[in-house]
Amino acid sequence: MGINPIEYRAWKGVRSAQKSRLYVIANSVFRHKIRSFGVIALLGLGFLLLHAFQIIFSVIAPHESLDAQTMYDYMGSGGTFAIFAILLAAVVTSDLISDDRANSSFVLYFSRAIKVRDYLAGKTSAALLIMSLLCAIPPVMVAIASIATQTGDDYSGSAEILGRTLAAGAVGTVFFVPYGLMMSSFTKRKSYAAIGTFMSFFVMTIVAEIFAGFDPAWRVISPADMISFSFSWIFGVEMPSYVDGWAVACLMTLFVTVPAIVVYVRVKRQVVGG
Amino acid sequence: MQGVGPRIAPDPPKDDSIILTARDVTVRFGPVIALNGFTADIPRGVIGLLGPNGAGKSTFIKASLGLIPRDGGAISVGGLDPQTQSLRIRDDIGYMPEHDCLIPTVSAVELVSYLAQISGMGRRDAMQRSHEVLDFVGIGEERYRLVKSYSTGMKQKVKIAQAIVHDPALLFLDEPTSGMDPNGREEMLDLVRRIGATGKTIIVSSHILQEVERVCEHAIIISDGRLVRDGKMGALMAGEEGLFSITVRGDAKDLERFARAFGEACGLVSKTDEGSRQIVLSARGCGDGKRVFALAKEHGVQVRSYIPDKMSLEDVFLQAFQGGGSGGH
Repeated sequence: MGINPIEYRAWKGVRSAQKSRLYVIANSVFRHKIRSFGVIALLGLGFLLLHAFQIIFSVIAPHESLDAQTMYDYMGSGGTFAIFAILLAAVVTSDLISDDRANSSFVLYFSRAIKVRDYLAGKTSAALLIMSLLCAIPPVMVAIASIATQTGDDYSGSAEILGRTLAAGAVGTVFFVPYGLMMSSFTKRKSYAAIGTFMSFFVMTIVAEIFAGFDPAWRVISPADMISFSFSWIFGVEMPSYVDGWAVACLMTLFVTVPAIVVYVRVKRQVVGG
Repeated sequence: MQGVGPRIAPDPPKDDSIILTARDVTVRFGPVIALNGFTADIPRGVIGLLGPNGAGKSTFIKASLGLIPRDGGAISVGGLDPQTQSLRIRDDIGYMPEHDCLIPTVSAVELVSYLAQISGMGRRDAMQRSHEVLDFVGIGEERYRLVKSYSTGMKQKVKIAQAIVHDPALLFLDEPTSGMDPNGREEMLDLVRRIGATGKTIIVSSHILQEVERVCEHAIIISDGRLVRDGKMGALMAGEEGLFSITVRGDAKDLERFARAFGEACGLVSKTDEGSRQIVLSARGCGDGKRVFALAKEHGVQVRSYIPDKMSLEDVFLQAFQGGGSGGH
C-alpha cells in the first residue's frame, strides 16, 4: 500500500521589491563569512595587534583631547594596518565571484529578477561590512574611548578627529575590496584569487621600493603607502614633500573604480554567455 | 516592501492561448548561428521542445529568459519582451538549467530558501516554502546535507525545487532527466506531470523522445536553430487519414493467401513479417473493417489488431529530419 504523494501547492504570499533583494545576497554572504575560520582568525589577530593595545593605551594614558597625529600614527604610519587590510580583503573577496564561476551558479541568480548591479552590490556590501570590522569600527572605538577619557574639554575638536577617523576607516574599508573582487572574477579558484590579490599588492610594493631609489615619488604606487598618504591627508598631518596629494587622490580613485568596472563587465559577460 | 504580483496569469484559460511567441529569432555566438530565424507560437500546457544536441533548444530558453541577447527577431513571454523587460517577467518564470549549477557548500534547504528569498519571498516564508517543495520533489532528511554529497538524481530534484519554489506560472526545464537512472527518470517525469496538472505551463527541453511523448501535450521540433515541426502531440503522431494498421496471425501459407486477397480488396500500402506466424499490414480503403474480418475468417487467420495508423514521436522526428517537415506550422 503506497502513500499518497505530496501534491504541489501554490504560494499565496507577496513578493518583496526587486531592488531590495540585494540585501538577501549581502546578508547571506556576511553570515557565511563571519563563520569562516580564516576571517575570524584575521579579525581576531588584527584586532589584537592593531587595535587592542591602542584602546587600552587611550584609556590609561592621560591625554587632554583626541588628536590627529595620535590617530594617524596609530592607523597610517607603520603599514601594519594596510597589510592586515590587504590580507583580510584577499580572504574575504577571493570566493565571492570565483565560486559562482566554478559552480556555474550565475544562472541561479540571473534567471531571477535581479540585475548584475544588484548582485555585485550585495556581494560588495557584505565584503565591506566585514572589512569595516577591522578597518573602520575599531578605530572609531579607539577614538570614542579616547574622547571618553580625555582630561580637556575640547570635545568639538575631538569630535572632528572622530569624524576624520571615520573617513579614514571608510577609505581603509573600501580601498582593497574592488581589487579583490576583480581578482576573484578572473579565476574559478578562490585560492588563486586570494594569492593573486595579496601578491599583486606585494609586487606593487616591491616595484615602488625599487623605483623609490631613483625617485621617492614612486612610493605612491605602493598600496600601503597610498593608504598612509591618504590618511595623512584625511588627518591633516604633513605629507612627505615628494608626494603630490592630487596624484595620490587620482591613483586611489583609479585603484577603486577601474577594478569595479572590470568586475562589472566580466560578470555581465559571464551572465550573457559572452 | 513593495508587492510585486504575478504578471503571467497563473490560471490559464482552457483554450490553447499562446504564452510565448518567437518571431524570426536569430542568436549568434561568433560564427556559430544557434537560432536561425526561429519562429513558433507556444501554447499553455506541458510543451516538449525537441531537437538533437546543438539544435538550439537551450539557446531558445536562455533567450526567452533574457539571459542572452538576440541578434534579430522578437520574443514575447506573456506579452513582455524578455530582453528589455526581463526583471518584470522573471518572478513568474522558473528555470531548471541543464548543467550542474548548484552551490555545493550549502544544504539543499539553505540553497532553495536563499533562492526563494532572491525571488522575493520573506525569510520565514521562503524557509517554509523550501521545505514544502523539497517534500514535493522527494528530498527527505537529505535536505540538511551539503549539496556536494548528493547523487545526480538528487541534484536534479534540487534543481527543479529551486525552479518552482517561487511558484512561477511558466517553467523551463532544460533536459530534466539528464544523467538520471531509469527510476530517477520515472520520478522526474512524474513530477513534471504533477506540476503540469496544476495548470502551469512547462516547457521541457529534451532530446529523449519517449519522455516527451509521455508527458507533453504539444511538441516543438527544432533543428539547426529553426522550427522543423510543431503541433499537438495527437495531431503530430496521427498517421495519414484512412490509413489502418492490421496485425494478423496464422499459418504461413494462410497468411500469404490472406495478404494477397487483402491487397486486392483494400489498398495495401506495406507488409511487414513479424516471424513466420504474424504479419502487419498497412492498408487504405477498408471501410469499417467488416471486409477485413470476413477475409480473415475465409482464410483461417486471426486478426490481432485493427487500428488507425499512428506514428511514434520518433517516426515524427525522423520524418521531420528526412525532409518531411513543413518548416513551420
